This record gives sequence, structure tokens and C-alpha cells, in this order.
Amino acid sequence: MIDWNLVAKIAGGGFGMVFFILAILALVAWITGLGVRKFSKTDSKSEEKKQN
Amino acid sequence: MFGLLESGFQQFYWGNALMLVIGGVLIYLGIAKKMEPLLLVPIGFGILLINLPLGGLMDYRLEVRSPEAGNVVEVQMHEGDRLKEGDIICQLDSGEVLAPIYGRVEEIKVSPGQRIEAGDAVASIITMAQTDQSKLPTEPLGLLSRIFKFGIMWQVIPPLIFLCLGALTDFGPMLANPKTLFLGAGAQFGVYSAFIMARLWGFTVPEACSIGIIGGAEGPTTIYVTSLLAPHIIGATAVACYSYMALVPIIQPPIIRLLTSKKERAIYMKPQLREVSQLEKILFPIISAIIVILMVPMSAPLIGMMMVGNLFRECGVTERLSNTAQTAFIDILTIFLTLSIGATLPAENFFLPKTLKVLILGVVAFALATAAGVILAKIMNLFSKEKINPMIGAAGVSAVPMSARVVQVMGQKANPRNFLLMHAMGPNVAGAIGAAIAGGVFLGMVG
Repeated sequence: MIDWNLVAKIAGGGFGMVFFILAILALVAWITGLGVRKFSKTDSKSEEKKQN
Repeated sequence: MFGLLESGFQQFYWGNALMLVIGGVLIYLGIAKKMEPLLLVPIGFGILLINLPLGGLMDYRLEVRSPEAGNVVEVQMHEGDRLKEGDIICQLDSGEVLAPIYGRVEEIKVSPGQRIEAGDAVASIITMAQTDQSKLPTEPLGLLSRIFKFGIMWQVIPPLIFLCLGALTDFGPMLANPKTLFLGAGAQFGVYSAFIMARLWGFTVPEACSIGIIGGAEGPTTIYVTSLLAPHIIGATAVACYSYMALVPIIQPPIIRLLTSKKERAIYMKPQLREVSQLEKILFPIISAIIVILMVPMSAPLIGMMMVGNLFRECGVTERLSNTAQTAFIDILTIFLTLSIGATLPAENFFLPKTLKVLILGVVAFALATAAGVILAKIMNLFSKEKINPMIGAAGVSAVPMSARVVQVMGQKANPRNFLLMHAMGPNVAGAIGAAIAGGVFLGMVG
């Protein structure tokens, strides 16, 4: 006798969890990329100012 | 003189002969067709070695204990006899002592008329079966059974291979285009649908989890999860996973063609991805290890090792560690892993309905993962201004880098201007992360 409740919990919950975590990682990667690029732009601008 | 020498011919039967053919085919595919030779050649040779009887490479000793007290009426097995699961070893006045697994009798420890108590050893048998150690503890006797027990069943080698994979993996393409992480996630659909199918086909929940994870197309993850949840089917799941990874160029193209039109396959993607800075590459393994392990603690051995390996690669100050992980270390681990995995398939383990079902479900899991990745890429195209070539979704099954190469070849066929390899590497490495998380989720829910 298959416990469909358990199967649904593992399959649905498991897939949802994996999807959710990878979505968070995508968000983290996107925000980190954005932050690092912004930071490096500001950094290079201030160096240019210093040189001028 | 020859009377003293026990020859393997006496124990050799048609099943061994058939397994020699299967091992030979894997070696042939590896050498002649160059299909994942680093995996298929040692796995094939492991199969070959273990099907030459009495070699003892994968032998375990199991003490068979009486489930109840009683007087021994008759001993039905003798030293050297082969036995199947369920065969009667000895008859007691209160019942029978049955063989819990197949093997051959090493020693009979009781005699007729003897009084025994519940839990007393009745016989010791030599077997090549992988057993649940909490119920049927075995002692490894052979070279490969020792490697298998202490390397794989103790969960040492698979996480260390993940460390090496981390050192070999460039997360750059994925970080340049983070939405490819969704494609890696989508492909995990194959894992969960194969889990449901396995359950429907009569497998227990832990067995179904171990079969489902084959769809993640990550050998170490499959072995790691199966060693914890269903060790008795580890040979079948591992061989299915590695064999299908090698057969990705045969399995994936028809599914991709079925789900995409010629026009979709020809969608052009700019070959250049944005440059990802070293700081991003350093931050990603650290942040993602923290997030993933906090959310799914059971994935720590795999994700933790993968991310530390990747940090060795990217941080710029641990070049020696990274180089070792990328070369000699992974080679040594691969030799141990693949030889002992091949050795889990003596004919007695292979020609079981369960094993054949695992092999069928494994290929179904691969196919569904490929299909889910492609379909998700098509769905993403409905909402995105910049279209992606849906074939790169197929690389979400992991099988790094084979599935990305398949996409590259098919992409060039459909549109010679297309260079999809780097785009496909994004979902490819995301699939590897996704499979490790899926494994951790299974362990967290069922283990």
C-alpha cells in the first residue's frame, strides 16, 4: 500500500525545495555581480580622480 | 596436487559469462568509442574481475545467527555449498534458520542435537551482496570490498570527489547568466518523477529516492545517497548512473529533437558572456555553502566539499591544492570508486528483477530530466525578451561536461554561427549543484 501523502510530500516538497534554493542562489549571484561591478566602478572612478 | 587447488571453473555459470560480456562491452565503449573511458574502462574491468569466481576481491563474511532458541535437528548445508536467500541452513525443533542472502557456506558452527540460544551463530557465509549493516553486519575480506566498505559505505570517497569536481568547475558561465540556475533546477524534475515511478513499481521509499537521484546524473551524489538509504541496490544505481552519463550523446539528442522545432534549435545566442570578476568567483562558493547547508544540512558533505574545492580554484593563493585536486587526487579517487563500483555487480546481484528495474528507471530519470530542462527553457522564453536556445536546458541534467558538449554539437548543426558551449555550461554546473541539493533533501526527508 503506497502512502501517497508521503510520496507527494517528498516529491512535491523536495522538488519545490530544490527549486527554491537554486532560485535563491540565482538571486545571490545576480546581486553579488551587481554589487561587485558597482563597487569596482566606484573604485576605478575614485582612482581616476586621485590621478587627476 | 590439483585436487588441492580449487578452480573457479567449478563455480562459473552462465550468469558470470553474460556479465563478462557486459563488462567487455563497457571496456569496448570506453576504449574504441572513447565514451567516458576514465569511468567505463575501470567499471567494466571491475565487473569482469568480480565475475571470475573465487577471486575473493569483493567477498564479505556474514555470521548467520539463529532467530530463536532450540535444539538442532538437522543441518542441511555443508561447507562450500552455494545458497540462495531463503534456503534452509539448519532445522531446529522450534523452527528453521534461513540464509538471509545468497553466498556460499564457509563454516557450519552447529551439529545435530546441539542446543542453541537466540542470536547464536549457526554458520558463516561468504557473500558478495551489499547488505544493510544495521541488520546484517558483514566483514569485508577482499581488496575491493575493503575499499568499498571504508571508502564508499563510510561516505568518504563521494564527497572527496565532489571536492575535486569543485576544483575543476568554473562557475563563471553560471554567474555571468544566473538565470541558468533555474534550468539546473528544472532538470531535477526528472529526479522526482523517477522517484514517484519507482514507488509505483513497488520499490520502498528509500530505494525510490536512490533510483530517482540517478536522474541528477551525478555519480558521486547517486552513490552517496544510495549508500545511506538503500545500500543493497548501490551497484545497480551507480552503474546505471555512470553508464547513462557515458551514453548522454545517445540518450539526449532524440529527446531534444522531439521537444524542439528546427527554428528553436537554431536560436542564436551571443557567444560572449560578461566577464565575471575574481571577487564574485570567490564570494559565490562561500555564500552558497552557507545558504545551502543552513537550509539543507544533509547536503553539507557534498555541497561543502564542492564549494571548498571551488574556493581552492578561485582564491588564487591555493594553487597547489587546486592542482592536486584537479589531477592526481581525483584520478586516485576515480580508480578506487570505479573499480569497486564495477565489483558490486557479480551475476548474482545483476540478474535480479530489481536490478533490471533500476536500470530501466535510471534511463527514464535521465530522459525526464532532459525533457524538463528543455521545457523549462521554452517556458522561460515566453517571459524573456532575450531568447535562449532551449537546448541548453538539456544541460541542466549535469553529466558535466558531456551534456553541454551534446548541446554544442546540436547547436552548431542547427545554426553553424551558434557557439552554445559556454551557455550550456551554466545549467550544467547548476545541475551538479541541484543534484547535490536534491540528494541532501532526500536524506533530510527519508534518512
